[in-house]
Amino acid sequence: MLPPPPGWGPPPPQPSPEDDIATGVFRAHWMIVPLRVLAVTLVFVALVGPILVMFGFLWVLFVALAVVFGAFAYALPSWWFGTFGLRRDHLVVHGGLFLRSSREIPLSRLQAVDVVQPLLMQVFKMAELRIELAGGDGSAIRLRCLPRRLAERMRVAVLAHAAGLPGRSPEASEWPFYRLPFPLLLGALTFRVPVLVSFILLLMLLTAFVVFLEPGVLGAAVPLALGLLRYYWGPLVRYTDFYASLSSDGLRLRYGMFQRRMQTVPPGRVQAVRIVEPLLWRGLGVARVEATVAGYAGARQGDSADLLPVAPRNKAFTLVNEVFPGSEAAMVPLVTNREWSASAAGVDERLFVSVRGLFCRVTEIVPVERMQTLRLSAGPIARLRGRATVDVDTPPGPVSARAADREAGEGRRFLDALVEYGRRARVPSAGTERWATRATLHADPARREAATGENTAQEATPSVDTPEE
Amino acid sequence: METSEPPSETEAGASSAVRPRNEAFSAPEGRTWQRIPTALAWYRRLVTGAGCLAVGAAGGVLLLMWGHPLWAGAWLLAALATAGVLWFLAGLFQRSWGYVEASAELYMSYGVLVRQLVVVPYGRMQVVDVTADLLEQALGIATVRVRTAASTADTRVVGLPLADAVQLRDRLAERSESFSTGL
Repeated sequence: MLPPPPGWGPPPPQPSPEDDIATGVFRAHWMIVPLRVLAVTLVFVALVGPILVMFGFLWVLFVALAVVFGAFAYALPSWWFGTFGLRRDHLVVHGGLFLRSSREIPLSRLQAVDVVQPLLMQVFKMAELRIELAGGDGSAIRLRCLPRRLAERMRVAVLAHAAGLPGRSPEASEWPFYRLPFPLLLGALTFRVPVLVSFILLLMLLTAFVVFLEPGVLGAAVPLALGLLRYYWGPLVRYTDFYASLSSDGLRLRYGMFQRRMQTVPPGRVQAVRIVEPLLWRGLGVARVEATVAGYAGARQGDSADLLPVAPRNKAFTLVNEVFPGSEAAMVPLVTNREWSASAAGVDERLFVSVRGLFCRVTEIVPVERMQTLRLSAGPIARLRGRATVDVDTPPGPVSARAADREAGEGRRFLDALVEYGRRARVPSAGTERWATRATLHADPARREAATGENTAQEATPSVDTPEE
Repeated sequence: METSEPPSETEAGASSAVRPRNEAFSAPEGRTWQRIPTALAWYRRLVTGAGCLAVGAAGGVLLLMWGHPLWAGAWLLAALATAGVLWFLAGLFQRSWGYVEASAELYMSYGVLVRQLVVVPYGRMQVVDVTADLLEQALGIATVRVRTAASTADTRVVGLPLADAVQLRDRLAERSESFSTGL
């Protein structure tokens, strides 16, 4: 187990005055200017250099110098004018040199905040701050190449604003939830039927290649190796040193070796969850937890959807209960659609749960107040058999919960129960914006007091402090 | 279901025996479906008829040019038969359509081959808009499209008269505001 690098632990609770992030404008690390110039020059020399060499070496030097100056003349002002800062609880981002752009983001609407550090940025002590909004692929804010301390403090301030606290409030305290031991990650990733089969096939092909010296065998080995790289080596490197913790600001995930990431998913942002248990993992008693978060759209969905890559089954269910407070996913009564069937579904006042898959068991969990639409559908054959399917639609993501192939009347009762429970659960006061000032979600009172005591100009919120119960 | 709602179990268990199968797609308790005028059927008949005619004519002419008059006739006949079937199905589709504005949700039911019942809570509606293409404008009908954060469901109310569509949009937009609970 690698110790977490310094700086990835909880930062000091009280930032010193010069660390004040709530006012002023900020920009990326100055190092980005020479790095960009270097990159442009290298690409230019590599692409155009061989042609220019025909005219003489001096030409190459001369043109490369011109490119260096040109790139510098572009990179310096675009770095200088690419600023961002906090204005009340909005984040204002300026960018562009010829086509100036200015975006103002209401932070109460953010869906998730990630700090990402690829290997090169780790060397230069830089980080990228990503703020995910619900508007899909194009709506994420990416602040690249920030100094790491700035990125950290910005993340804290952004989350504080999203929670409805002033930007100077300290970071919410967190308590450890789960640390993934490396042997378990390695073992669980290896111990899967497709991985084992492709390993054996790959070894057989390589043996055949060595014995018969038949190069055609490699044609089959290459796709196998690529598949293993994608589905075995990829997650292994991604989730090295995985650490999950809980705080009043939501779930915090830290992981990765070559690309360090820190994800924060605030409370109420998880739309649906699924627990995946491949065949051999059931013997080990471990599972994977994936979530639908409205911000993780498009290509980043596969990147960031995993809440727990590998965890004991009971830990997985504990996390689900933490993510959807006040509910108990394992207690929802499940009904199979017919005898000897692997697929079952159930609903209670808070959750819709469906289980499917004979070999790879997938448990999908949607809180009833987060359902978008409900559909009861029956194709021609299903109608002859008197069967129907209930689909529970959630925003795009890995989860697609459904009670498949139920008896038609039962399907309708499912639908009616979901509609009824959903109506009761969807009270307007249950929104999740500015979660720290609401009594419905578990807030951190000490932190709120610290924040309001520090900044008395902000209105105090004593009345919402006491829950009705 | 037995633990979550004991009373409904006995009541629904008894009723499911007497209910015919289509009852699963009936309107919610105490309400009846709002039906769609026949202009929708004519819209679909015109669209499918024009499509069949174009495909039939093009295929027939090509086959004639290649010197297969018999096949050309068969092709035309097949196109006409398809148009006839679609003509009939368009009527069924129009009659299958219904919607209900319940107290907190919009119910929609449609489909001839694949029967669907779609429920959209007002609080989940993000955008409500009215669209009408050229043919719809000529027939005086419009489509009310409801968008939620989920992209899997196609939630539209088709074939409403334009005035009704505009009123429905305004009602839905107003309710989506008053029932709003965020994402």
